Amino acid sequence: MTELLKDMPKSLRVVFGFNQLDLSKVSGYFGVLFIYLLLMATIHATMLGATVIAKEERDKTYEFLFTKPVSRSIIVTAKLLAALTNIIIFNLVTMASSMMLLAKYSHGEAVNDEIARLMAAMFILQLLFMVIGSALAAVKKKSKKAASLATGILVFTYFLSVAIDLNDRLTGLKYFTPFKYFEAKNVMYGGGFAAVYVVISVVLIAALTTVTYVFYKNRDLNV
Amino acid sequence: MDVIEIKNLTKTYGKARGISNISFNVEEGEIFGFIGPNGAGKSTTIRILLSLIYPDSGSAAIFGKDCIQFAPEIKKNIGYLPSEVFYYDNMKVKELLNYSASFYKKDCNKRMKELADIMDLDLNKKIDDLSLGNKKKVGIVQGLLHEPKLIILDEPTSGLDPLMQQNFFELLKEENKKGATILFSSHILSEVQRLCNRVAIIKEGKIVTVEKISNLTENTYKKFKVETKAPLDATYFQISGVHNLEVKGNVTSFIFKGNINDVMKKIAGVEIMNLWIEEPDLEEIFMHYYEKEA
Repeated sequence: MTELLKDMPKSLRVVFGFNQLDLSKVSGYFGVLFIYLLLMATIHATMLGATVIAKEERDKTYEFLFTKPVSRSIIVTAKLLAALTNIIIFNLVTMASSMMLLAKYSHGEAVNDEIARLMAAMFILQLLFMVIGSALAAVKKKSKKAASLATGILVFTYFLSVAIDLNDRLTGLKYFTPFKYFEAKNVMYGGGFAAVYVVISVVLIAALTTVTYVFYKNRDLNV
Repeated sequence: MDVIEIKNLTKTYGKARGISNISFNVEEGEIFGFIGPNGAGKSTTIRILLSLIYPDSGSAAIFGKDCIQFAPEIKKNIGYLPSEVFYYDNMKVKELLNYSASFYKKDCNKRMKELADIMDLDLNKKIDDLSLGNKKKVGIVQGLLHEPKLIILDEPTSGLDPLMQQNFFELLKEENKKGATILFSSHILSEVQRLCNRVAIIKEGKIVTVEKISNLTENTYKKFKVETKAPLDATYFQISGVHNLEVKGNVTSFIFKGNINDVMKKIAGVEIMNLWIEEPDLEEIFMHYYEKEA
């Protein structure tokens, strides 16, 4: 099996995510699978972040909610907390089901720590993409379009990460795609999270959250 | 005391829409009409008052407090009914009303039931299943259940059948008697005429006039309709004070403001078949304001 994969051209291995992961081990298998879980989780987070902010205008319910005696900041806080709860549930369910399923096939290999670490990485990226979505919804005049734009950014950064794997000369661009921040092989075998990416993520999340609040507060609510 | 003070409010949207330099005051305890055709800027003004949108310049105060800076505090005492009501579809009427009530720190249950009774609204239906008129009723109950001191209504009667309109107007009069101030925006003049003490007429984003309804309809204006034996020359009644002059065959009609003797002399100068002199309704005066500006 391993031989077979090694004979595959590099580009194919990269596109499928086999590169540098040992598929004969269950952790390696999960590492390959992880990118797809990550994609699903981040798409979910992006859509959630964008629509939770945009939906009052999309459904024209803003004339109800925003004429109540609460400030916009409080409403945004409640909305972001609701989205956060969803994201946490998504993450925990993914973690629990991954651990249960892999336990059946691990043949004694301890993978739960690795899974937990990958899920922690996934959570950071979920948060990041959620606030990318919410910030876009707060900034864009037509907030309805925020979800598709945010998903576009997600797809673009994902393909950028694949392109970086394919072409060494693009390595410098790795800071621009969150999909390169916490790669399975590094998180599982390389001893965890690289500090620089954690810092970038935290700064981005904080900045985009601020953008969400500031722009939404000053926004003209209109259909 | 002025419940609403609007000072030089300006807001421009991409194209021609918006308002420019609007100022008027609404006094405590009055029912104030805000009238103009669709797109004249009524909703824009109201949305600024509710801080849904922000003005480019100028300011507005409600209960003496700036409507942006103190928005959450002011809104405790505002009830708002938008021209089109949209709610969360998968909620029941009762759930939505309870949700609405939860924003105001008082028990609104009793009032909610009373209002639902008056408006003949079934609290157990899903909002999704309601007709336009019934959704509007939800809006009315929702806007009034916390007994607001200021009620803002944006074209509130659309979708309501005449009977419900009647109930609704009675309800508003009652609230007004209890001390609520009402800002009533509409393009239907007869309903404003029925309800309001004063009215601001808005056109293309500018206030044309603010007057007492009684001033507009009584005393100053008379509506003339003269039927003559032979068709009149269109310019015969063209004297100062005559507006909306219209000649249709043997019938000439116009609105007159000024010394009534002048116009009587003119009428005496021709052979007439019939003559009507009436108080004009607001609509005709309104048209006059619009023509003057055009």
